[in-house]
Amino acid sequence: MKPFEYLEPSTVKEATQLLSDYGEKAQVLAGGVHLVPKMRKGEIEMEYLVNIQRIPGLDYVEPEGKQGLKFGAMCKLRSMEISRTIQNDYPVLYEAIHQITSVQAKYMGTAVGNLCVATPASDVATALFALGAELNIAGAHGERVEPVEKFYLGYHRTSLKRGEIVLGVFLPKLPQGTGTSFLNLVRTHSDIAKISVAVAVTLKDGICREARIAIGAAAPTVFRAAKAELELKDQKLTPQLINQAAGTAAGETRPISDLRSSAEYRKKTAKVLVRRGLEKALERARAQA
Amino acid sequence: MKREIATFKINGWSYEVIITPNMTLSELLRGPLDMTGTKHACEVGQCGSCTVLVDGKPMLSCSTLAIAVRDKEILTIEGLSQGAPLHPLQQAFLDTGAIQCGFCTPGMIMMAKAFLDENPNPTRQEVKEGLGGNLCRCTGYVKIVDAVMAAAETMRKGGK
Repeated sequence: MKPFEYLEPSTVKEATQLLSDYGEKAQVLAGGVHLVPKMRKGEIEMEYLVNIQRIPGLDYVEPEGKQGLKFGAMCKLRSMEISRTIQNDYPVLYEAIHQITSVQAKYMGTAVGNLCVATPASDVATALFALGAELNIAGAHGERVEPVEKFYLGYHRTSLKRGEIVLGVFLPKLPQGTGTSFLNLVRTHSDIAKISVAVAVTLKDGICREARIAIGAAAPTVFRAAKAELELKDQKLTPQLINQAAGTAAGETRPISDLRSSAEYRKKTAKVLVRRGLEKALERARAQA
Repeated sequence: MKREIATFKINGWSYEVIITPNMTLSELLRGPLDMTGTKHACEVGQCGSCTVLVDGKPMLSCSTLAIAVRDKEILTIEGLSQGAPLHPLQQAFLDTGAIQCGFCTPGMIMMAKAFLDENPNPTRQEVKEGLGGNLCRCTGYVKIVDAVMAAAETMRKGGK
């Protein structure tokens, strides 16, 4: 591993100052599941490594009043997996985390770190897109809030500016009558997804008031299938309409061919997964309503 | 790069070691400390062979910087039983034939310990999920699951 200078700030202010001073010469270490192997392979090099693990107050997952739930930058995926609130109120997120097979990676890795890597194949990010997550970002000049969808600018690119770190994530409480679901396709369960889909459907009086369809690993970033969502809004969700919207969603994907799948396969299976995801979310929304 | 003397708490002992920040925990264990029970296999966090417990939590020592875990409680396979008798997991792995080439075994056992500490009375399916981050290329896993189930029973009866 290439040498670097190791820095261990004890406050957020200190961390943002260091990152502001060193800019692109610095990397943030949270769980290290992604970063440390990349450093070993020489794929990521830096002059300064800023370890935020010992900053107090970043490792939490807790209800935010009656408004929703929040978790901190150092909250491990494992803590989220065993959170009763996430299991009960945000099943799509629980399912996205639970299907990750490496228990060690869940004990070490953080959801925020996973977001900051900005891979389109992030199952966790896909779930957070469907939940309308908001990121709380700190910089040298204060804090700002950004919806997760605006955070992703491109393949491995985020909206983080020099000196900024993500402090935590807020998940709004889902409206009454909302059902969610997560589905993906994998080569083997220890690999990342060929394609993943997270869905949230809100029913009122039997009508779909809102549908969110997030798709991972089928474009340069995780994205929401906006056209398909619009087809479902304020409609009764019949099998025909669900099938049609699934087709529209598949049309919104921009997949590539790689070692995991061909673009053609990803496009075809996007339709199947969105349809199944909508069906499952609808069933859960009906049970709720 | 700055060298520094850091203190590590491993298996109940305190060690002062000269390290550089770019040293992983597995390199520290296998290099200067000569604790070669912890294995280097994939070295990129995919196989679980390098699993050790840090403050009781299973961690991939190949993907952990040593400097980041100084002054935390580290448990490796060497510290699981301090001499005879073996830990119930080690004994069960021997008794059930859960070891073939043995390379995954230390990681399997350390992960299984963390798992049983949280879930002392698991189902076979739960054991499989609990060991989901550990690869074995020899056994086909059946005897490993047998071993963990057997060890769980011994431990519930008070074996340590």
